[in-house]
Amino acid sequence: MEKFEKAVEVLKKNLADTIVECKVPTPRKAYILLKPERHRDAISLLLKHVENTELSTITGTDLGTEIELNYHMVCSGTVTLKNRVSREKPVIRTITDIIPGANLYEREIFDLLGVTFEGHPNLERLMLPENWPKGDYPLRRDWKPPAKIESESSPEETSQTESTTEPGDAESIVNVVVGPQHPALHEPERFTFKVDGETVVDAMMRLGYVHRGIEKAAEHMMFFQDVFLVERICGICNAAHTTVFCQAVEDIGNVETPPRALYLRTIIHELNRVHSHLLLLGVAGHLLGFEALFQHVWRDREPIMDTMERITGNRLLSGFNTIGGVRRDIDPSTVEMALKNVKAVKKRAKFYKTVFEEDATLRLRTEGVGMLSKSDALKFCVTGPVARGSGIDVDVRRDDPYAAYEEIPFNVICYKDCDTWARLMVRVEEVLESLDIIDYALNHLPSGRLRVRVKRKQPEGEAVSRVEAPRGDLIHYVKSDGTAYPYRVKVRSPTLANLVAFPEIIRGEYIADIPAVLGSFDPCFSCTDRMVFLDVQNGQKWRWSLDDVNNHKNGNGLI
Amino acid sequence: MNTPDLGLLKWARTKSPWLLHFNTGACNGCDIEVVALLTPRYDVERFGIKLEPSPRHADVLVVTGVVTRQCESRLKMIYRQMPSPKFVVAIGACACSGGIFHDSYNIRTRLDEIIPVDVYIPGCPPKPEAIVQGVAKLLAKLKE
Repeated sequence: MEKFEKAVEVLKKNLADTIVECKVPTPRKAYILLKPERHRDAISLLLKHVENTELSTITGTDLGTEIELNYHMVCSGTVTLKNRVSREKPVIRTITDIIPGANLYEREIFDLLGVTFEGHPNLERLMLPENWPKGDYPLRRDWKPPAKIESESSPEETSQTESTTEPGDAESIVNVVVGPQHPALHEPERFTFKVDGETVVDAMMRLGYVHRGIEKAAEHMMFFQDVFLVERICGICNAAHTTVFCQAVEDIGNVETPPRALYLRTIIHELNRVHSHLLLLGVAGHLLGFEALFQHVWRDREPIMDTMERITGNRLLSGFNTIGGVRRDIDPSTVEMALKNVKAVKKRAKFYKTVFEEDATLRLRTEGVGMLSKSDALKFCVTGPVARGSGIDVDVRRDDPYAAYEEIPFNVICYKDCDTWARLMVRVEEVLESLDIIDYALNHLPSGRLRVRVKRKQPEGEAVSRVEAPRGDLIHYVKSDGTAYPYRVKVRSPTLANLVAFPEIIRGEYIADIPAVLGSFDPCFSCTDRMVFLDVQNGQKWRWSLDDVNNHKNGNGLI
Repeated sequence: MNTPDLGLLKWARTKSPWLLHFNTGACNGCDIEVVALLTPRYDVERFGIKLEPSPRHADVLVVTGVVTRQCESRLKMIYRQMPSPKFVVAIGACACSGGIFHDSYNIRTRLDEIIPVDVYIPGCPPKPEAIVQGVAKLLAKLKE
């Protein structure tokens, strides 16, 4: 709270002549319209005066004659810096020299809206297929799909071999291509690992196989229908997506959600987190070759799925949240059943905690593997359990409380070990915390209405909303133009923020450790790809000798 | 490819169909339910069903999600790599019809217009029980 107020003060004081308009419609959310080309000054100021400020994402919106670029800066609240460029000749200075993490967000806007970022090191196509027609920008308002788009050429025509060497590499270096269909990946993505013997020298990613154009689709559906659309961004953390979207729309329409609905939202959100974390812990066991752990954890996840089904009517996609409240009530017998299941799962979760703490093989496979130091974690702007595993104490539930979190006591789990083990342990303990939250919420459920009536048409306005999804900080930006259809919906999922760090930490590790390290990031590509094609190479190619890699491994980082 | 019409092969296939799972653009919901099938509560391995990582060893291709432009050529390639006779199971609303994403700009057409589909399992996502039933229907088809 304090940091947010300080940020707004700093901007108002130092940039009085630059600020065209400054609004703080809801607590901890500011929207500041700047004069053209002054965004760099504002961002530098924030970085200098307010500690731990991060760029969350950049939203591009086509306003008809102008394109608006919103830089969402996150401290304890969200400061949105707005900048406008002409639609005819959309050019703006890059901020990648101030915040390297902006690289992908700028490329995304370049690809989808055709804005050129001057001085960007590698402004290339980011999310659309390689052979997408030039000059076609799907997120412009007047865009119509071209009559025919060729599908991407068959991989057989381009490169059929699974393992290749590149000219210029040392003889011992081999490229190993993993994916899009691969036994170790449950989702279609492609990784290229440069390996020297057993050691990974470099890693490259090509995502986007699950890109479904959801942000465009959202503009063609009504607010109420969009709740069901955003739910289908991700089957795992669907409650997080619906909660954050409903919150944004409620902010726009000034809707007061009843307390009972807030508690029920919290319960579903936490059930989601428990099942998501258990799922990952099981998969981590599978990836580490600990098959029994996988089977046991997934068996113990079933009571949570049963509870979800009893409360919402479905195991995964719950369709529970809606704008203005929730859609179903919870009766006393369901509460009783949920409490019983929570108790049973808690007992098992405590057992898994001892397994993760004491099992020698598991610790050998994960301790000291995939180190992500606190400074690196801050540099790459990682969020959620990955950040908390590296000793960064952040949690949206505590820092920017929403739903019923202001009233429910809970601890933020933080480990300082910075390795794969720490990232898994954060999740084990968060399961216990989440079960406590569910227990508390079920026992303190306020009475009253489930939802308030909300009109189909929403007033003109915009809102940024954040929640702590199982994988980290999830942000939606919604803009309304006074009709029943949103003008723009923008989603930034936590996996996108976290994955940027993966190639950096896998360098110098053994091939056998790749699945474990990737697993500890709990990547969810369906969230990530809804909008973004990612090539985390950032245009920089580096070549390391084996000695360099070893030096890096011994802590003499070369980055 | 010609497969010798041996009773033994058919018997082996119905007793132990090997599944290859490919996510062509799903939200992960169906994928999780497919994995849940292998875990103790549902345990489809008791029917001899096994998830097989390589297309070259698989009898049945299990597809989840809409087919995005990027995945289309890969899907065809994987289908070509599977030995005959091969079967395709579409899991979830997206794979069956395109679902909520049917008119997205990054989707060219439905799954069954790209490769032939034998069994459709609707639902968003279908419950594991529904998937088990779908697989049982496939087994009946294999016996024919």
